Amino acid sequence: MTHEVAAASQPFVMDTTFWTATTIFLISYVVIISEKVHKTVVALFAASLMLVLKILSQYEAFHVEELGVDWNVIFLLIGMMVIINLMRPTGFFEYIAIKSAKAGKGDPMRIMIIFAVVTAVLSALLDNVTTVLLLAPVTLLIADALEVDPIPFLIVEAIASNIGGTATLIGDPPNIMIASKAKLNFMDFIYNLTPIVIVLMVVLLFVIKLVFGRKLKTREELKQRIMQMNEKEAIKDPLMLKKSLFVLGLVLVGFVFHGTLELQPATVALFGAGLLLLLSGTHEPHHVLAEVEWPTIFFFIGLFILVGGVVKVGLIKWMSLKMLAVTQGNLLATSMIVMWFSAIASAIVDNIPYVATMNPLIIDMAKQMWPQETGLALLRHPDLMPIWWSLALGACLGGNGSPIGASANVIVVGMAEKAGQKISFMRFVAYGFPIMLLTVFISMIYVWLRYYVLNF
Amino acid sequence: MKAKDIMEPVKETLTPETTLKEAVNRMRVARRGDGRVGVKGMIVLDNGKLAGIVSIKDILKAIIPSYMTLTELGEFTWDGMLEQMAKKVAGRKVEEIMTKDVITVSEDSPLMECADLVVKHGLHRLPVLDRDKKVVGMIYIRDLYQAIVQALFEKEDKR
Repeated sequence: MTHEVAAASQPFVMDTTFWTATTIFLISYVVIISEKVHKTVVALFAASLMLVLKILSQYEAFHVEELGVDWNVIFLLIGMMVIINLMRPTGFFEYIAIKSAKAGKGDPMRIMIIFAVVTAVLSALLDNVTTVLLLAPVTLLIADALEVDPIPFLIVEAIASNIGGTATLIGDPPNIMIASKAKLNFMDFIYNLTPIVIVLMVVLLFVIKLVFGRKLKTREELKQRIMQMNEKEAIKDPLMLKKSLFVLGLVLVGFVFHGTLELQPATVALFGAGLLLLLSGTHEPHHVLAEVEWPTIFFFIGLFILVGGVVKVGLIKWMSLKMLAVTQGNLLATSMIVMWFSAIASAIVDNIPYVATMNPLIIDMAKQMWPQETGLALLRHPDLMPIWWSLALGACLGGNGSPIGASANVIVVGMAEKAGQKISFMRFVAYGFPIMLLTVFISMIYVWLRYYVLNF
Repeated sequence: MKAKDIMEPVKETLTPETTLKEAVNRMRVARRGDGRVGVKGMIVLDNGKLAGIVSIKDILKAIIPSYMTLTELGEFTWDGMLEQMAKKVAGRKVEEIMTKDVITVSEDSPLMECADLVVKHGLHRLPVLDRDKKVVGMIYIRDLYQAIVQALFEKEDKR
């Protein structure tokens, strides 16, 4: 690993290669943001340009972690997607949702609160997109049964999934990327992010109660429709459900101890995927594997190579020097700038390319600040940790700022539209943006208090 | 025999702007053939050009909420849900629910082609177009069946 770090931190010159790489990088990001061409296509083409023009060698792109594809991220995502795809048809999520609605006794306010909590917990353990993809249809059903507007429910779920996903290493792609780059383990995320996420969820529930408390009303006989539903009918394959829950449990335990076991998260997820595939007794793995979100996976692959190119030519280093010049090495200021900038950026653009760019930038900045440190001592320098957490909090929570800020939001808006309930851009922003500001503000106080005042 | 020999003239059509409620009413009161059979599907014309076709199945599809087709939630219904959903979509326009990729035949299409299309695509009716792509008639699955009945029995009787 050492020689790659050395290579990446070599002094740079603003030569033709530098400007070529920078141009490819900037144009790609502009095209990705414009959404004129599918982001995966842009990322893959830009990555191939980096290789064809020899800005990055194929060896560096495929085999050097600092410059190329982060296979830990790729296979963690693939492993989790396979597990979820095998689990989805069992009806487990529908079961949970209907059970939750009944636990709320058919009362819309209570159901909204329970759904928000369920969404947050599931998003922390699985991925946000899957969670909302599986809960949104049940939400629409429940709203129809209660004859209430489903849109507030759906928006609250998207928001809760983004907040809940912030809590764990596997909860949200930015966290997966940060964990892999900074060599942080599952429990690091639990210690550092879960406490604040719990606080944010409690705040969210208060806000929900405040905003919707009086508005959400339904008639007594409509509540009976919910109470008469039998959640057990949702379970399509009890045997497969048991196998899935067993493997999912095993995987979660694996995540908790992966640091101690010296296993990468990707190893744990792949083991779970392999085991569940075996247990499912499927003779035709084609459809399970085909349902993996390959566009997302290849987006990551392309992006890693694209960013690797600008890391190699020194653009990222130049950006980190600029950032240091602004903050003058003040760590608290850096933390706060990283958090707010990440939040705003993530509300406007996809947080995945953003974090892909920020990760090497923060590492480079650390190299300037602690030149004598290398490897883990550098990546996990005690003074650097709050900055990693600020990046995670900003990038994940910023997703709530707009309907395009996070994949879960896009899914929810799409689902609502299919159901004939259009969620306008501004309607989402009206709910999401104030909550983003509130949650990031609270997180800012948390980071300041915990890492800079109380120091623990 | 060709399509034009067995097709029936199209008397009533809808426009893309017609509401679902109005479409249901038009289909309810319309009669075809000798007047004993109700209409189960109607073509939609946009400025005289074929824009789509609406059948009872399209109407059912429009009424079934998307969440039931997206996931396995078919068991979770309540008494009166179909009626509730029907009222909910009553105001939607025909163009939102109609089948847009209509399979058609030309006046001179052989009956075998018509039969093949009906079976391959699970159709009940086939609009017949003239050279200017104007709808001139409709072939129903029963008309094709009638042609078979004729071939097997009535010609035999003549002999």
